[in-house]
Amino acid sequence: MRDAICYTARELAERGRDGIPEELISSTHLIYSSPATLAFNSPGAEGFGVKRAGLAIPDSVMLIVAPGCCGRNTSLISNLPEYDHRFFYLMMDETDVVTGRHLKKIPQAVEEVCSSLDTRPSVVMICITCVDALLGTDMERVCRRAEERVNLPVRPCYMYALTREGRKPPMVHVRQSLYSLLEPRKKKGNVVNLLGHFAPLVDDCELYDLLHQIGVKTIHEISRCRDYEEYLTMAEANFNLVLHPEARYAAQDFEKRLKIPSIELTRLYQIDRIHRQYQALAAALGVNFDDSAFLAQAEETVHEFQQKHPGLTFAVGECMNADPFELSLALVRYGFRVSEVYGTLSGENFVYLNRLAQLSPDTRVFSNLEPTMLYYDCSEAHADVTIGKDAGYYHPNCPNLQWNQDRQPFGYAGVRRLFAALDETLTKEDLQ
Amino acid sequence: MKGLRKYLTPFAPDQSGAVSVLYELGGIIVICDAGGCAGNVCGFDEPRWFSHKSAVFSAGLRDMDAILGRDDKLVEKLTSAAGKLEAAFAAIIGTPVPSVIATDYRALKRMAEKKTDLPVLTVDSTGMSLCDEGAEKAYLELFQTFAREDQPVIPGKIGVLGVNPLDLSDLHAGEKLERLLKGEGFEQVCCYGMGAGLEAVKAAASAEKNLVVAPSGLKTAQLLEKRFGTPYEVRNPLAEAMLPEIDYSGKKILVVQQQVSANSLRHALQKRGAGEITAATWFMKKGELAQPGDLRLTEEDQFEALVKNGGFDVIIGDPTLWPMTNGFTGVRIDAPEFAVSGRLAAR
Repeated sequence: MRDAICYTARELAERGRDGIPEELISSTHLIYSSPATLAFNSPGAEGFGVKRAGLAIPDSVMLIVAPGCCGRNTSLISNLPEYDHRFFYLMMDETDVVTGRHLKKIPQAVEEVCSSLDTRPSVVMICITCVDALLGTDMERVCRRAEERVNLPVRPCYMYALTREGRKPPMVHVRQSLYSLLEPRKKKGNVVNLLGHFAPLVDDCELYDLLHQIGVKTIHEISRCRDYEEYLTMAEANFNLVLHPEARYAAQDFEKRLKIPSIELTRLYQIDRIHRQYQALAAALGVNFDDSAFLAQAEETVHEFQQKHPGLTFAVGECMNADPFELSLALVRYGFRVSEVYGTLSGENFVYLNRLAQLSPDTRVFSNLEPTMLYYDCSEAHADVTIGKDAGYYHPNCPNLQWNQDRQPFGYAGVRRLFAALDETLTKEDLQ
Repeated sequence: MKGLRKYLTPFAPDQSGAVSVLYELGGIIVICDAGGCAGNVCGFDEPRWFSHKSAVFSAGLRDMDAILGRDDKLVEKLTSAAGKLEAAFAAIIGTPVPSVIATDYRALKRMAEKKTDLPVLTVDSTGMSLCDEGAEKAYLELFQTFAREDQPVIPGKIGVLGVNPLDLSDLHAGEKLERLLKGEGFEQVCCYGMGAGLEAVKAAASAEKNLVVAPSGLKTAQLLEKRFGTPYEVRNPLAEAMLPEIDYSGKKILVVQQQVSANSLRHALQKRGAGEITAATWFMKKGELAQPGDLRLTEEDQFEALVKNGGFDVIIGDPTLWPMTNGFTGVRIDAPEFAVSGRLAAR
């Protein structure tokens, strides 16, 4: 029997960000397809991929113009009530690829889709895929033709998997597309946009309270917009908070087109780092935040968990709402062990990995995508509990917290909720 | 409008059919894509994926690989994987990207065989055809590559072609067919790709007879007949279980299933006294298996018109078709087709 290839945190830290082993660099090998890699290979299969994200604008519909294979798994999403009658398909065949005739059919297809609906959509998103990337299709122009025909905004949405490791991967592009419909409006000093996610932050996130403390009246998130008109008021914001790095380009567009500046925040699970980040934000805005109550609550939750479940060993995956290396570091700093991390290591993770290597040098790091993960054997490492859908796949008999919910954990609320959910997972397991 | 889908999501594509045939056979399967196709094939079209590990990979193509036609990089990745994994063969499965850049599969096969020392199968699927076409190509490639001449015929041994979750919509199709065929007197049943592995494929010439349960297996049955003289029969013994116990006598019935299942259902319905039966399929319609009036469906509009104007009393088909049967007042019988809706049959 062969073994899955892994490296310890110490080995990786010693090699440094310029010496990441080939086995942990996805572009150097075939990509193993297991349930642990589904979110990588097909982001739309779970959570928000381009298709689901592209429908974040209220009352929008999507026409997927592609070979049948590209739209196949959409039925998983179409079955959700909020996406009923919102996905349509124009299937490409080989003649379309050779002649490009499908492009001429798009305006008519958009018209047929609109006329088949009881309510006129706010926007029609045209989703195109790798084939049109290679054909060099000018979809902006095709969309303008379609707009003339239906007198509605029609926007392109690029699901170009071929560019996923390029400068502008599909999930970056889709965020730009979503906000491209906003037109300059008069600014309001008490309006802020949260950019980055396609579902709202958890309701009890302290970020809302902290912003209200400094006089912000309206906090927009695209997923909380009730209708198209409310979405358009995002152009009135005084500034944007970018909560996901894939929204950086969209934020740059805001700055350039709408003169709305932005500040980026990172999702963290280390309480002291969260505090420091809020202090930095306050300094950038020229205000003061009093986050002491939220900080104390988070510390109390972690303390209670430590008391109730001392000495736990975790295995941490990447299919969840956290950076696996930052979360592993947080867990180790809270006094727990992390035996294994399944994650995609990049230069950006080294800020966490280096510290993790000091505190937990023997933590083993695997790449879900590496071919030898076919031979992964969970009996070689102990774990009391796993976090992430992928980690759950590797340790099927271990309590698992998927932590991949649509509603986004953030800040102290994220920490509180994480440990509450872990407690629930472990308590349920004890009862069984 | 041709190609426009307002109700139905796209059906399982040819690449999924090809992977479905090879999934259990112990090879390295490389889906020649950027990742999304592999995600669709495994995460949606391969129900065994969640319970049964297989060495399925995405080639991880990136834009410059496609633009520059870097086949050598793919071969390099495959060679590296072959050095780390235990595999009996490698298979390269096409998707829209190699289709657009006109990948030379023969050259790819030769290069990969030379570097890996493994037999390499290639299937030139495009993602624009349906799963049965991909499965048909994969069966042919598999048996052409591995089936050996020097096998004496074993009386009582039957080979079954077309057994895969996409064609039969049943994760236990192999076991069920084995039980049914043993009940018919066969001593050894080889459901290729679903129960019977690569060794059974190599020994295909020893079957006394082949049974084709889906159109995807027909060409290979014809090939095996030509090469080894193995006769074949075409029917799906599992189909009849789709029929609930209702009165079919004199009824005008529309059956929408893959063609072999539809024919077997027609036969079963005729025994139960049904009137006129129309067999329709969204998939391959083989001339030699068709009866006058049988239909190949391609568009939603076509199906809607058929239901509206057909005067049917009963429709047997996948439940996702029902929203297109507004105004139909007869009986709808659910017969899920995994390749249509991604739903497995509950039987």
